[in-house]
Amino acid sequence: MTLRVNVPDLAFAAFLVALGAFAFALASNLSVGTAAAMGPGYVPRGLAGIIMVYGVVLGLRAAFTGRQAFPGIAWRPLLLITAAVALFAILLPRAGLALTSLAVVICSGFAAYDVRLRENALLAVALAIFAVLLFVTVLGLPIPVWPQ
Amino acid sequence: MDLIANLATGFGVALTPANLGFCLLGALIGTLVGVLPGIAPITTIAILLPFTFSLPPTSSLIMLAGIFYGAQYGGSTTAILVNVPGESSAIVTCLDGHQMAKQGRAGPALAIAAIASFVAGTIATLVIATASVPMSWLALKFNAAEYFSLMVLGLTGAVVLAAGAPEKAVAMVLVGLLLGLVGIDVNTGTPRMTMDIAELGDGIGFVPIAIGLFGIAELAVTLGRPRDHSLLSFKLSNLWPSWAEIRQCIPAMLRGTVLGSVLGVLPGGGAALSSFAAYALEKKWSRHPERFGRGAIEGVAAPEAANNAGAQTSFIPLLTLGIPGNAIMALMVGAMMIQGVQPGPQVMTAQPQLFWGVIASMWLGNLMLIVLNLPMIGLWVSLLRVPYRLMFPAIVLFCCIGTYSVGNTVFDIWAMLLFGVLGVFFYKVGAEPAPFILGFILGPLMEENFRRAMYLSRGDPLVFIERPISAVLLLMSLALLVILVLPAVKKKREEVFQE
Repeated sequence: MTLRVNVPDLAFAAFLVALGAFAFALASNLSVGTAAAMGPGYVPRGLAGIIMVYGVVLGLRAAFTGRQAFPGIAWRPLLLITAAVALFAILLPRAGLALTSLAVVICSGFAAYDVRLRENALLAVALAIFAVLLFVTVLGLPIPVWPQ
Repeated sequence: MDLIANLATGFGVALTPANLGFCLLGALIGTLVGVLPGIAPITTIAILLPFTFSLPPTSSLIMLAGIFYGAQYGGSTTAILVNVPGESSAIVTCLDGHQMAKQGRAGPALAIAAIASFVAGTIATLVIATASVPMSWLALKFNAAEYFSLMVLGLTGAVVLAAGAPEKAVAMVLVGLLLGLVGIDVNTGTPRMTMDIAELGDGIGFVPIAIGLFGIAELAVTLGRPRDHSLLSFKLSNLWPSWAEIRQCIPAMLRGTVLGSVLGVLPGGGAALSSFAAYALEKKWSRHPERFGRGAIEGVAAPEAANNAGAQTSFIPLLTLGIPGNAIMALMVGAMMIQGVQPGPQVMTAQPQLFWGVIASMWLGNLMLIVLNLPMIGLWVSLLRVPYRLMFPAIVLFCCIGTYSVGNTVFDIWAMLLFGVLGVFFYKVGAEPAPFILGFILGPLMEENFRRAMYLSRGDPLVFIERPISAVLLLMSLALLVILVLPAVKKKREEVFQE
């Protein structure tokens, strides 16, 4: 495939424009005030505007200079680690730290291409016990250990 | 002598059994993560941050500082034995250190790296102790306009010295500043850009951002890369360098220390920059530059001295001005603020115990590192044999528990996840997260000082160039930017980061 644009730069520029626009919209109900007595909206709107303009400039440059494809993404580690973190957020309030730790370690273990089933299971048990002992027993964090 | 009295106060604090313990713990954790490639000190500090909140402020800063300089020691071990830098400031140590190891001189290379770090650490501690007092006097003259300009300079420095494309670093600073403003406006009490989410009232959590960008994103990227480490076997018996080698290294160590101390103080400076510069200087200085890259022992001593000196003196702007010079110092600001300590020149006078205690602990930590690490090198090396697949699930779990424990809310976990995914995106498009985190920390401070300066000048923006100190700071920022766009410098800069 022949590319005419610098895709990573263009993606970053698009991100800037989108973020700037979003922030500008969120800050649109805040009063700006004057330069001598700035309202809460003065600096946020100013920054959001600068970011949008900056993004447009970067984007134009990316569209006319260089040809570069977006670098490949290693989907397996990214998705599995994301999933493991999401599991933690969903499970912890319901299942407690011990079972959540098991699930997080097993799930994230599969992010490695050289995962070994039994080793991963043993690691999960060991880390779950360690996490409960360290964080709840020793450090005394107020985290439920078992399902309630 | 004030200096002696101050240091005495400091050692009094640092030598209490609890603080000695935290110093040792920090130094050991630092060495551990320094040795292990793929876990940067900044990631570790981010993950451990929440667990230090229950400690007294002094103890928590002592421990976090220990992680930072401990990592400088540990990073060199991996660089020398495996030819993989344990962390970024050890990249140049690979060049000559690994060559020495291949020639069977791994022992002397490791020993000289540790000795150089210790010498530099000792001198840098004295530099901090002497330079801090006048620096904080200067800072007390600062008004809102000066503070604003100083932060501009700090952010410019971070942009110039960021590893990636500078125009992307500028964008990252701006994005950081913007996200730093989310939350309730301190002047008016109006919630800003919170989308009516109650958890965002205090702003986007600093810990979820730091752990997401430096922990979760880093893991996802590292796991996608092929790993190939061949560990050199070496004997521990011939650890000591000869006297001739030590004599050869002393001037190199001292030059490295001086250079590192200066570069560490500069905004955007720190350990990695110092080691690059020191290596380049040694090579220029040497009568036999051809020896470099082939196992020259000065090529190990100078950068190792410089990175340790730079790591320590980068605390100076933080402790005296309250302005973080690099991303790790930004995390320290976060740690101090959560502890209820407002970083700034008043820390030294209002909390001398904390200030001098942390400084004294740095020297004690360096002493512990050299005493413990040389005999323990065998242990650290055996840790290198632990496969990464056994380590990273533990890191994922600790990232989650750490983030959760700050506010006991899963909202922070989702925020961490979002910033983890964003971090991967930033990595893929070549945008550095370090300028972002600096901008995020400085955002509210900059806005506050900007607003106050403009209020005092009745809306006249010329105030920033009418006040002399402020004008000088802004001129320095401008000079940095001009240097950056000069074609000759641009080329040189690319070469340096290439290596």
